[in-house]
Amino acid sequence: MIFSSIPFLFYFLPVVLLVYFAVPKVLKNPVLLVSSLIFYGWGEPKYVFLMIATVLLGYVFGLLIERFSGTWLSKLFLVLSVSSSLLALGFFKYADFFIGNFNSLTGMSIPLLRIVLPIGISFYTFQILSYTVDVYRGDVSAQKNPINLATYVALFPQLIAGPIVRYSDVEAQLTQRTHSFEKISAGSKRFILGLAKKVLIANTLGELGEMFLASSELSVLYYWLFAFSYMLQIYYDFSGYSDMAIGLGRLFGFEFMENFNYPFISKSISEFWRRWHISLGSWFRDYVYIPLGGNRVNKGRFLFNIFVVWFLTGFWHGAEWNFILWGLYFGVLLTLEKFFFAKFLDKHKIFGHIYTLFFVSVSFMIFAAGNLGEAATYVGGMFGIGGIPLVSSEMLYALSNYGWILILAAVGATPVVKMAKISLDKKGKDSVWKELIETLVPVLLLIAVCGFLADGSFNPFLYFRF
Amino acid sequence: MKNKHLLSTTIFALVLASLTFGCWFGPRAAYSESERRPLAEEPMLTIESVLSGEFQEAFELFSVDHFPFRDHFRSIKAMFSGYALGKKDNNGLFTVEGHISKLEYPENPEMKEHAANRFRYLYETYLKDTNAKIYLSVVPDKNYFLAEKNGYLSLNYPAFIEDFKTRMEYAEYIDILPLLSLDDFYRTDSHWKQEEITDIAEFIGNAMGTDVKSEYTVNTLDVPFSGVYLGQSALPFAPDTIRYLTNETLSACKVNYFDSGKAEPGEIYNMEKAHGKDPYEMFLSGTSALIEIENPNSKTDKELVVFRDSYGSSLVPLLAAGYQKITVVDIRYLQSSFLGNFISFDNQDVLFMYSTTLLNNSMSLR
Repeated sequence: MIFSSIPFLFYFLPVVLLVYFAVPKVLKNPVLLVSSLIFYGWGEPKYVFLMIATVLLGYVFGLLIERFSGTWLSKLFLVLSVSSSLLALGFFKYADFFIGNFNSLTGMSIPLLRIVLPIGISFYTFQILSYTVDVYRGDVSAQKNPINLATYVALFPQLIAGPIVRYSDVEAQLTQRTHSFEKISAGSKRFILGLAKKVLIANTLGELGEMFLASSELSVLYYWLFAFSYMLQIYYDFSGYSDMAIGLGRLFGFEFMENFNYPFISKSISEFWRRWHISLGSWFRDYVYIPLGGNRVNKGRFLFNIFVVWFLTGFWHGAEWNFILWGLYFGVLLTLEKFFFAKFLDKHKIFGHIYTLFFVSVSFMIFAAGNLGEAATYVGGMFGIGGIPLVSSEMLYALSNYGWILILAAVGATPVVKMAKISLDKKGKDSVWKELIETLVPVLLLIAVCGFLADGSFNPFLYFRF
Repeated sequence: MKNKHLLSTTIFALVLASLTFGCWFGPRAAYSESERRPLAEEPMLTIESVLSGEFQEAFELFSVDHFPFRDHFRSIKAMFSGYALGKKDNNGLFTVEGHISKLEYPENPEMKEHAANRFRYLYETYLKDTNAKIYLSVVPDKNYFLAEKNGYLSLNYPAFIEDFKTRMEYAEYIDILPLLSLDDFYRTDSHWKQEEITDIAEFIGNAMGTDVKSEYTVNTLDVPFSGVYLGQSALPFAPDTIRYLTNETLSACKVNYFDSGKAEPGEIYNMEKAHGKDPYEMFLSGTSALIEIENPNSKTDKELVVFRDSYGSSLVPLLAAGYQKITVVDIRYLQSSFLGNFISFDNQDVLFMYSTTLLNNSMSLR
């Protein structure tokens, strides 16, 4: 089930909210857990059991790690926990990638397993990993109540597209969270904002992408238009989903971490990654980069650490070489910035913005591709390789049809709207109009979203590879 | 402050609850009049259907089709796309010069090939060794007049038609393009208006060596005509009016429909369908595989076979004056290989009259 669907919005969510707020506190987590399993099972009935098994392993290993804390057994159980989680992720997500590459290298023809990827496995595996590692480090206590741990892992607001919520961040909220009209009001507004970002903007930009992919009249500027549009589409889609997750979390009394912070205003790639998919970046920093030694090592080891992290970041996004290339591409840029350009970019801010947008838009062409060959075609197309013309009539039509929404989306990806709101808040502190607008805008956005959903408009799900 | 949060929570809850109530308990229509299509049925909930994912998939479609006030929400979407997001088309439909039209782009070489192959099959199988005189006339869709000059993607119509003239070298081409204008088409539908194409009928008749010129009485249908694009676009647009032409010749014609395999008498204008879901279907009863129109008052013994799509439905009656018998064939509903069971080709005039829309989307030709 996806948030931007009628079954979720008007069949699932209202029932869950009704039951959740009707039951006593002791039953709230079980209600959330059961509804999360139904939510997950809607799309992947058989994989519910995989998730339950993964949670149970995490639960048992968490207890054992804590029970034998300070002994070699604790480390053994940590290794077993990490291995079992990664093995499940490796099997379900990467088995065919490894088999395919092995076949290519050896000339053998081992049949592919063609396993359907369990949705959200990359997210919930990382949550369980962080939980057991944190228990091992002594940063958190092992959760004694399996329902609470399962609720944390399976919590439907953040289950299929993040943010990757750390157990340490919600440990207390699992048992002691509060509910209020303020939280419900803020949560519902945030949820609708995310829904509008996804349905009204990302999906509309997705239509441009579909048009580009079906085009028989490609041109250099059409590739750039697609790159620009895709970059904004994935931002609105992903950050919209994170907004929905954070909003839904608030409805149920949780506070999740922010996942995006206007990444396209960055003046360097390093800054971009501090603002883009923050929960993933910080996860790799805390559970891979720093354990490897971080930057407090010699230059060779530092380079090794950087490339391991970015190899894994790319690979996490999908079991294809183009994702690995995508990750390593950022590894190279970050290394160059670290050793050569950081000061220059700091001094030349306008250049920094252009440089960042240029390399990020190229990166998303690698990301959008289905494989390395396609990535080469996309990136090559941006630079006129292949003898394509500079401009085509289809490109001009796409620009005229989607030009306005591209401008809206670009402006909306900067803090302009937020700053305008802050300014209005200061000016009209007690204004009735301000209150009215703040209340009515989300309702109007929800109505517009319903129009798109009722029309059965283009509504892709981009996280099937995560 | 607390009241503010209470107010916005209440409004959110009310909107959510109203739409939820509509989704769960709202009326369930079986057919969408505006989109002219059956709506998804409520799927059966079984363990097997849930485990296989069939139920979930079907329920998604069902929930969309039966969303409360769906047509109103579709209108909101269409207007939001146009006015707020600045889109020029909504689901491929666009509004310019007082018309709603649908993008016909890109050119589909495979479909063109398929159409040309089906026509060649008819020629090779039934016409090649006869004395039949074969004609071709391509009807441009109204984008010919609307798309390019308003900045929309458009077929290259001259090249498109030239391609069919080349592929169908066995047919003499009748060029009706200079006689057509945008006003000849309904504003909310893809089709042309019968009352505006009498000159085209005369021109085609002359090109085939017969005189079809007639005087007609113009009749106005007593129900508004919401064309196919009106419902699809979901835009607030005034419906069209259907006018149809009658005279003594047409009244005297005997019409037989062969949809059941045997001759069943009918009318040129089906008044039951005129008051049905698609009033344009009043012309020769809409979708019909094979129709014979006999004109007892004909001054000639000429016969005509027309291979046509829906554009032919309103034009063919206007050719009746010049022929003793017209056989109207729609190979979307009749397998070409069965045609020999119904028609003996000899020395008839044979007219292939198809729209660019169908030629570019010809998979239904059999």
